Amino acid sequence: MNNVLNEDQRDALQELMNISMGRAANALARLIGTKVSLSIPRIVAVTPEEFNQILTNKQSCYTRQSFLGGVKGEVLTILSEQGCCSIAELMEFELPLNEDSHNELLLELANILAGACLTGFSEQLDLNTKLSMPTVFVPEKRLQTQANWASTLLMEVEFKVEASHFDSRVVICLESLSVDTLLTSLGALLE
Amino acid sequence: MTEPILLNNLVSRLPLGICVVDKNFKVLYWNDFFKDRLDHQQGEQADPNILDIFPQQASLLKKKINNVFVLNNSSFSYWEHRPHPFAFSSSRPITGEETLMYQNIEFFPLETKNNEVNSVGLIVQDVTELASYYQTQKRLSVELEEEHAALSRLNKKLEDAQNQLLQSEKMAAIGQLAAGIAHEINNPIGFVNSNLQCLKEHTERLTQLVSFFTKLVNKTAEPRYQDLTAEMLKRQQYDFIAEDLPELIEDSVQGIDRVSEIVKNLKTFSHADSSEWQWADIREGIDNTIKIASNQLKYKANLSCDYATDLPLVHCQPMQLNQVFLNLLVNASQAIDERGEIFVHVRHEVKLKSVTVKITDTGSGIESHHIQRIFEPFFTTKPVGKGTGLGLSLSYSIIKKHHGEISVTSEAGKGTCFTITLPIDCSEPEVDDEVA
Repeated sequence: MNNVLNEDQRDALQELMNISMGRAANALARLIGTKVSLSIPRIVAVTPEEFNQILTNKQSCYTRQSFLGGVKGEVLTILSEQGCCSIAELMEFELPLNEDSHNELLLELANILAGACLTGFSEQLDLNTKLSMPTVFVPEKRLQTQANWASTLLMEVEFKVEASHFDSRVVICLESLSVDTLLTSLGALLE
Repeated sequence: MTEPILLNNLVSRLPLGICVVDKNFKVLYWNDFFKDRLDHQQGEQADPNILDIFPQQASLLKKKINNVFVLNNSSFSYWEHRPHPFAFSSSRPITGEETLMYQNIEFFPLETKNNEVNSVGLIVQDVTELASYYQTQKRLSVELEEEHAALSRLNKKLEDAQNQLLQSEKMAAIGQLAAGIAHEINNPIGFVNSNLQCLKEHTERLTQLVSFFTKLVNKTAEPRYQDLTAEMLKRQQYDFIAEDLPELIEDSVQGIDRVSEIVKNLKTFSHADSSEWQWADIREGIDNTIKIASNQLKYKANLSCDYATDLPLVHCQPMQLNQVFLNLLVNASQAIDERGEIFVHVRHEVKLKSVTVKITDTGSGIESHHIQRIFEPFFTTKPVGKGTGLGLSLSYSIIKKHHGEISVTSEAGKGTCFTITLPIDCSEPEVDDEVA
């Protein structure tokens, strides 16, 4: 399935991601008033097994939120436990964090990053998407890990706040049926 | 119906609070759901400002709404973290136990122009029902966990009690057996002992007689008889017998003494014997015991005693307790190879109404697989003839008779510590507040 995308499509998508992710990094930087650096976006097709590998990091927290519209899917945000406190301080949370305020911080961060990524991305492709509210996701608590899909497209980028040693990754996961829609829109843009 | 009216009617029937504010937090619109839940005065204000209407949550609202203006991105508020951003009263004012409405709120950019947000929409969702359900579940699960923990504790207690019961049943059975054996053996030992005493006297007389006759024969000046006597005495190894016989008897008497000592111990173990109960000073008992044992102790260990100054008198059988202290002190000294230390600590546990005696040595310690068995009768690691294996089981039964506890901690190669806990007045009924 890794050849779902040809070279040109992948390059174009990566470029689009770069722009929208830059916007997300900018949003976060503006909010917390610190430099935010980001990685080169990774675009990859995965099977459920490969996807589950993402969810095995014990030092991280996960949030998820779904999006609807031209394309459908879910955005996962993976946030490092490390550096949370200093981010909380930058975002004017009351310290020390208790369990509730910790979760609130995670959800707020996730929403800012995921929101900026997705909005930027879908605007450029002229896909009207709407993001629902994020929730904390604990992969171990899933009763069923059997996926009802065979493969999906992941678009992943890493944000780092070096001053706080904070690290987060936003993974946009497309529903299998939406991959075609995306490719059509991409085609229109490339022509 | 025209479209705006239709929409207006729809919005007024939505089970959601809707409010629109501008950059200065001035309210541009609110629907009926939102407005109906405000105080009458607030609802009728001209040019209402959302921060003025909800002063208590102003900082939160300001932060959230500003985020939307700055980032052009939705923002959320959850009931779990912020239950009541708007002080709306509960949707169940009569039957519900909640006083305020639990809310999920979405703040989203409503009107944007050239990527700049001009107004922000707020959608307030009433999740009181959900929250109250969730909280009930959570409470239930906490209760369940507590009950589970209590049950586990109870299980553990039952297990301990059963083990104790097994242990005391075992001890009781052995005690009965021991009492029976002690009784049976006592009679033969009695007559063997007195027979040995007679035998000793008889032997003395017989040897006297033989030496008298020998002297007599020697005085007769009959060389033939003299030679014959000397010959006979030599052939029958009289000299050797005369020397050996008293020793044999002496050894047998000692042997019988040891047997009767064992029988006496067995009797004590089976409670067949009991000395008088009285109020006694534990310290005095230990001091006396140390004096008795000093011969065995002084070559092996430096003994140091540390008595609390507030020791009360204890209701006990002092002689029996001394027996226990003696056993433990002798054991401690035997555990020491060359030279070591023995510490005796006595403390008054005021709260528990008890006295604890700790006897610690720096000896060879007890192997962990032996620890389980040290209080069993006839269990010993000493060489044959050195120990009966009754000392500690005896101590155990004496302490139990005093409603006390005896326990041991030991590390092989480092040493051993025996701890005895004695209730000050064991005739007082024990109060187990957890069960009661």
